[in-house]
Amino acid sequence: MKTVWLRATVFAVTWWVLTEGRADAWGVGLIFVVLAVIASRRLWPPAAYRLSLAGLLGYLGFFMVQSVRGGFQVAAMAMRPRLALAPSLFEVPLRLPPGPAQRLLTGTLSLLPGTLSVRLEGATLCLHALDARLPIEAEVRTAEARVARLFGIAL
Amino acid sequence: MTAVEAVSGLLLLAGAGFYLAGTVGLLRFPDVYTRLHALTKADNLGLGFLTLGLALQASSLAAALKILLIWPLVLAASAAVSYAIARRAEQLGLKPWQGRAQRG
Repeated sequence: MKTVWLRATVFAVTWWVLTEGRADAWGVGLIFVVLAVIASRRLWPPAAYRLSLAGLLGYLGFFMVQSVRGGFQVAAMAMRPRLALAPSLFEVPLRLPPGPAQRLLTGTLSLLPGTLSVRLEGATLCLHALDARLPIEAEVRTAEARVARLFGIAL
Repeated sequence: MTAVEAVSGLLLLAGAGFYLAGTVGLLRFPDVYTRLHALTKADNLGLGFLTLGLALQASSLAAALKILLIWPLVLAASAAVSYAIARRAEQLGLKPWQGRAQRG
């Protein structure tokens, strides 16, 4: 029951943001908050995973810092007069269980510096690296640990 | 010009700079995979700066949060679309570019 109220609060705040705080939109809003809670229970049963708040903050901080790094890195590579790329495909065995955790890691790695997710098959993630001379595996492990903490999974 | 407007202007300029770099990468990088790198990373950061800069100029807190909400939504779409393109490219047998020596 606690998760229902928590999700309802998150959706209500989202509605408030989307309608920019208009009071006359709450009639429709209440219907959509209820529908969103029902849909979220179908798509993501509360028992499946428990997100940790500390893990979420840690993940967000990590993601912001890495986004800045990735943006600068790729911008520098694009603007350099002579392209200095050493791309390569990597296969990394994941330690995360299948499901949302693996999918979040796959998406995260596509947005992080130097890596692009190409194929997720079972527990193996195939990545494209922009510069194979960089420590790709170590970066994947760091991101994996962040995602694991977010989902409260012990690796 | 107030301090907030100045900071907002700088953020918008930074955002535009990263979009420019991403587009240059899209034009210059040699294959589909490297081009996806340029788009996902540079545009991710560029959009982050743009939404921050615009949120500073928003008329209310809710409006600012609404603008900031665009960032994670576009990121989710960007990650999903780049994965779909990269996966399809690999299925079609497109080999990653390996360096100038192998070209032609």
